[in-house]
Amino acid sequence: MIKNKKILVLLSLVLVFSLFVVGCGKTEDTPGTDQPADKAPEVRDTLIVGQGADAKILDPHATNDQPSSRVMKQIYETLITQNEQMELEPGLAVSWEKVDDLTFEFKLRQGVKFHNGEEFKASDVKFTLLRAVESPTIGHIVGAIDPESIEIIDDYTIRISTKNPFAPLLAHLAHGASSMLNEKAVAEGGDDYGQNPVGTGPFKLYEWKSGDSIELVRFEDFHGAQPKIERIIMRNIPEGTNRAIELETGAIDIAFDIAPTDVNRIDENKELTLVRDPNLSTAYIGFNAAKKPYDDVRVRQAINYAIDMDSIIEAVYLGIGEPAIGPLGANVWASHRGLTPYGFDVDKAKELMKEAGLEDGFKTTIWTNENQQRMDIAEIVQNQLKAINIETEVKVLEWGSYLDGTAAGEHDMFILGWTTVTGDPDYGLYPLFHSEQYGSAGNRTFWSTPRSDELLTLGRTTADPEKRKEYYMEAQEIIRDEAPWVFTWNGENVSGTRNNVRGFMQHPAGHHKLFTVYFE
Amino acid sequence: MNKQGQKRGPWREVWRRLKQNKAAMVGLAIILILVFSAIFADFIAPYGYDDQDLKARLQGPSMQHFLGTDNFGRDILSRIIYGSRVSLQVGFIAVGIAIAVGGTLGAISGYYGKRLDNVIMRLMDVLLAIPGILLAISIVAALGSGLQNVMIAVGIGSIPGYARIVRSSVLTIREQEFIEAARAVGASDFRIITKHIIPNALAPIIVQSTLGVAGAILSAAGLSFIGLGFQPPTPEWGAMLSTGRNFIRDHWHMTAFPGLAIMITIFGLNLLGDGLRDALDPRLKN
Repeated sequence: MIKNKKILVLLSLVLVFSLFVVGCGKTEDTPGTDQPADKAPEVRDTLIVGQGADAKILDPHATNDQPSSRVMKQIYETLITQNEQMELEPGLAVSWEKVDDLTFEFKLRQGVKFHNGEEFKASDVKFTLLRAVESPTIGHIVGAIDPESIEIIDDYTIRISTKNPFAPLLAHLAHGASSMLNEKAVAEGGDDYGQNPVGTGPFKLYEWKSGDSIELVRFEDFHGAQPKIERIIMRNIPEGTNRAIELETGAIDIAFDIAPTDVNRIDENKELTLVRDPNLSTAYIGFNAAKKPYDDVRVRQAINYAIDMDSIIEAVYLGIGEPAIGPLGANVWASHRGLTPYGFDVDKAKELMKEAGLEDGFKTTIWTNENQQRMDIAEIVQNQLKAINIETEVKVLEWGSYLDGTAAGEHDMFILGWTTVTGDPDYGLYPLFHSEQYGSAGNRTFWSTPRSDELLTLGRTTADPEKRKEYYMEAQEIIRDEAPWVFTWNGENVSGTRNNVRGFMQHPAGHHKLFTVYFE
Repeated sequence: MNKQGQKRGPWREVWRRLKQNKAAMVGLAIILILVFSAIFADFIAPYGYDDQDLKARLQGPSMQHFLGTDNFGRDILSRIIYGSRVSLQVGFIAVGIAIAVGGTLGAISGYYGKRLDNVIMRLMDVLLAIPGILLAISIVAALGSGLQNVMIAVGIGSIPGYARIVRSSVLTIREQEFIEAARAVGASDFRIITKHIIPNALAPIIVQSTLGVAGAILSAAGLSFIGLGFQPPTPEWGAMLSTGRNFIRDHWHMTAFPGLAIMITIFGLNLLGDGLRDALDPRLKN
């Protein structure tokens, strides 16, 4: 008996321990950085920021992912920038004017130094744009530019032309992918350039602990106003809850992308400030219209009716963001705010399914990546589609294979998002709905109509804003009626900061400036 | 007839000794309750495992929902009850695979010895050198997730354990006189192994497999915790834990109850396995 008791105690201990081991598998935390929580009064000069993933590479032509862009925003500059209201402002170009329908002339800022000491000149602009156009990753963003026509007038004047009239050119030059590089630095960096970035921005790379953190240090020869902080450490903290806890304990000063479940907790904490702003993202559920039965508009509409999107948004995003009514969010220019949502109407859905000859339903899959909110949406949709006899299997894929599979058209339904980085409807519609953009370019629904194709092409080649707006309004109506998507959600940028952090403003595109931040 | 009587004797003795062990009986009771709830889940669960009610999300324990609801408004008690189906299935089938493959390999290895023994056991050493959960992760990653593949993955991981146990039992038994006698009367190898050696090597296998089921359930829960197990909406305990993790600071019940379910199950299996070990050990005869 005594022996049994001992064993019992031992077993329970082992059990509890093993539970902890299994339980901690994923949540395990990186050890906190050197900043203790509340060593208050002295003015701090190091800003620590937590974000959900490490940068992939710090070469603006090699990637277009948010975590990398967020770091590069501090290192690089563009000819033109878009401020937090999405208005164009001078960047490395002080002024620009339209020469003809195809050509702009830019006057460059003088006395700008790269981190390697080289001076910024028109030749760098030409080199950068030629390199960008060649890039398989971001080439499409500057694809309208005619590489042959880039003309250096003098060291501080350059002309850039497009092959066809391209209305949103300036906004595209403000995209992070158009960041200015130095020819010498790129040549010296070779294959490792992405680990040794050289820009003209207020911060330069100091140390990159891959997978853990990136440390930036102030660039003393910066041409603009010197930032008040000396160092920025961008830490990789994948779990949303962990980011919130690190912020609460003071291990980090700013946490990006606060998870919906943590919003209230941060908001109610007296030491913290919650920052919420609508962003330019749209989440959607897409149909593979190249496949049966999704080639039938009635099926796509039926599913639109069968999904109770408002409750889903409430349950998954807990009041963050708002239900989407169209392909473009409210803060994108020429977004159609008068579209009628399908609404939740199972009877109508059944009727449409019957018309399509599918009243007995069918079996299908819904794809998503490992994004918690998307997985949640998939699981609720799976449940709700049972009402119209659609039996859905949820497939959760790793990001790379998810993108490859949907680009190749292997999917049925899928959940994805899109950020209209430039704030221009062309960026938010053309890649997603034009027939020339099937697959990896962005149109993963493989849906298009001749009329919408025509409108989207007219929209990008017409200069007159009023005309453009008309085209885009009509295109959005077609997209709503043809239903290649179930419009899901327009997002919000939600960050949390410690109360002593000042000067932090969120950018709708998600890459927030950190060089204006200081401590009180 | 005589033979049968002899056979029944020792097992009855084992059962008698097991009954005296209170802890083991508690373990057995827990397992029986689980098996019962797994079989009759449709009748005893108050709700279906995928009955979402988005208006009743994240509710704490109440009279309508004894263990509360999850983030989709599903009844956690019902999901735990249905989850016992998944867990027991994985546990028993994974161990079944491991015994079938490991036992066969071990028996062959122990009985024939020499080079065959060497080849098989070195193969087992290779498997043993890879941490079990890592092996399972790579197998699931290669085969894709889903109930079947998880069973296979967890099963393969525990093959070497059974191979070793069976081999060592066979090694001791094959030198005994009654095997020699069987060989002398011309029994085939197959007959000797299945009729004479295996029944005598059963005790350690039973003990190991009871504990092994616990291990398998835990591995499966671990796999689905890291997102490699089952497709939603399968009510798997590890997956429930994983979902609850996002809400742990505000809604403890989402992690606590599936966690307890795992803990109690493993505890029961371990108690039973331990009792069986004592009951089957001839040295502890009293």
